[in-house]
Amino acid sequence: MSAYQNSEQMKGDFYTQKFEAGKRDGTLILNMGPQHPSTHGVLRIVVELDGEYVVRAEPVLGYLHRMHEKMGETQTWGGFIPNMGRVDYGHPMAWNWAYCGAVEKLMGIEVPERAELLRVIMTELNRLTSHLLWWGAYILDLGAFTPIMYAFDDREMLLDILQRPTASRLTYSNFRVGGLQMDVDDKCIEMIKAFIPHFRKRLPMYKDLVTDNLILRRRIEDIGIIDQDMCRRYGCTGPVLRGAGVAYDVRRAEPYSVYDRFDFEIPTQTSACSAGRYLVRVAEMEQSMRIIEQAIEMLPSAQGGYIVDKAPKPAMKPPVGEAYFCVEGGRGKVGVYVVSDGSKTPYRVKLRAPGFSNLSAFAEAATGTLIADAVAILGSLDLIIPEIDR
Amino acid sequence: MLKALEGVQTQCVARQDKGTTGHVWSVFLAPGQVVKAAGKLYEAEYSLEDIFALDFEEGFLVLYHFNRWLVDERVVLRVLVPKNNPVVPSIAGIFQGAEWHERETRDFHGVRFEGNPNLVPLLMPVETADLFPLVKSDKVRASIKTLLNLGEVVSCTKAIEELFAEAEAGEASEA
Repeated sequence: MSAYQNSEQMKGDFYTQKFEAGKRDGTLILNMGPQHPSTHGVLRIVVELDGEYVVRAEPVLGYLHRMHEKMGETQTWGGFIPNMGRVDYGHPMAWNWAYCGAVEKLMGIEVPERAELLRVIMTELNRLTSHLLWWGAYILDLGAFTPIMYAFDDREMLLDILQRPTASRLTYSNFRVGGLQMDVDDKCIEMIKAFIPHFRKRLPMYKDLVTDNLILRRRIEDIGIIDQDMCRRYGCTGPVLRGAGVAYDVRRAEPYSVYDRFDFEIPTQTSACSAGRYLVRVAEMEQSMRIIEQAIEMLPSAQGGYIVDKAPKPAMKPPVGEAYFCVEGGRGKVGVYVVSDGSKTPYRVKLRAPGFSNLSAFAEAATGTLIADAVAILGSLDLIIPEIDR
Repeated sequence: MLKALEGVQTQCVARQDKGTTGHVWSVFLAPGQVVKAAGKLYEAEYSLEDIFALDFEEGFLVLYHFNRWLVDERVVLRVLVPKNNPVVPSIAGIFQGAEWHERETRDFHGVRFEGNPNLVPLLMPVETADLFPLVKSDKVRASIKTLLNLGEVVSCTKAIEELFAEAEAGEASEA
């Protein structure tokens, strides 16, 4: 039997009972989630409230835990790629890339130029779908229903584009060690070229409708401060770190693939609050489009095919060794560490989820805020629970 | 030489090939030096990436990844703890984000982190908290020297050299 057991004499489960042990007089213990809509399904937060103010908070994880790392140790190297599509439904291609990149590092495979450009185009399109999903859902959390309809209208067009070269609409697993599963067709490129001007026209409307809205501004400005020192102590990356004024982006800091060829900016905000993180993500959408445009221009003259010649089979046997590879996902630094013992299955696969570190800063950021603001802070972290629980 | 860790008693400092491993520095430490090393890295503006363990014949190898925002120089701290008493001091007092990583490592491998403010199951359910799913069976467990490479050694103690003795018999004598 485990040492972590419920006490039958007390109310609630193990975590509530433990949390109650430090309770002050006159406060209320409240379980937010796992069914609360703003926790996006399966996150639970135990909070101690003094009136409407949060005295203490503790996230309780594990409701969506699937033990991907164990699955990695039981499948073939190639057979693990579909798992990467399911770790983070928001930006699965970043995970595909991190895993394939780590294995390519182990095997010393050089990916052809065309495949790299296609990876960039698809990953950036996927970043747009990820940010649109966050944007719609965040505003929904804050009580405005309509914007998610606009966001999903545009997101639907992106899904139609991505469906052509990946044959899926959500859990993409089209990366292969050495390249991609299939090439794009001309129609797909045409659709991307048509989408970008369309979306550029939509962004000012988003700004007028939502970003400049006084009610939204009052809900998120100066709420949930996560400053640079906090980011360092908790390991926060992505828009959370850039919202605190650090221009850190893995695409720049540890350039991988062909990202060093593109001209793009890293948007930052110095306010370190929920509004800062909001504005960073909105500004990033334009930068992703710039990268896609440049990559499409480079595509016709790119060398090689969509996958390396003599690409390894799913039951490949990478040489003995270790490799760490990280990419910039929609939520921050996605890292994959693999160890090979020279057999068909990995010896160890470690997945570093950005959301995990970002959420760990929540308890400190939410202390002392109103319970309604805690919802605004949670949403501003752009949580995708499956990647946090893995 | 790795300046950030000056004054910390290391067991082995080695440079690794960034192109193939993703690490720049690999540092072996005794469990007692981890907190001091984390403090030094915090002062040198390093940020914590992750903490996890590897299951080897010699024991659990706990790995800490650190990197900086401005200069890309990933440091990996490696702490080898015995299977019968896998205890490492917690660094959650310096890097608060370590609390969750340490809890996850306890869930998966059973490594205990002394001083962690809240060492209860994080991802595993409390009913099966002591299942330790990533502990390997004897059949598939390998030894450190067969899988890991020490890299370009800067300084090394006898104990660590011996761990890698067979695999790098030639290089160890040069260092």
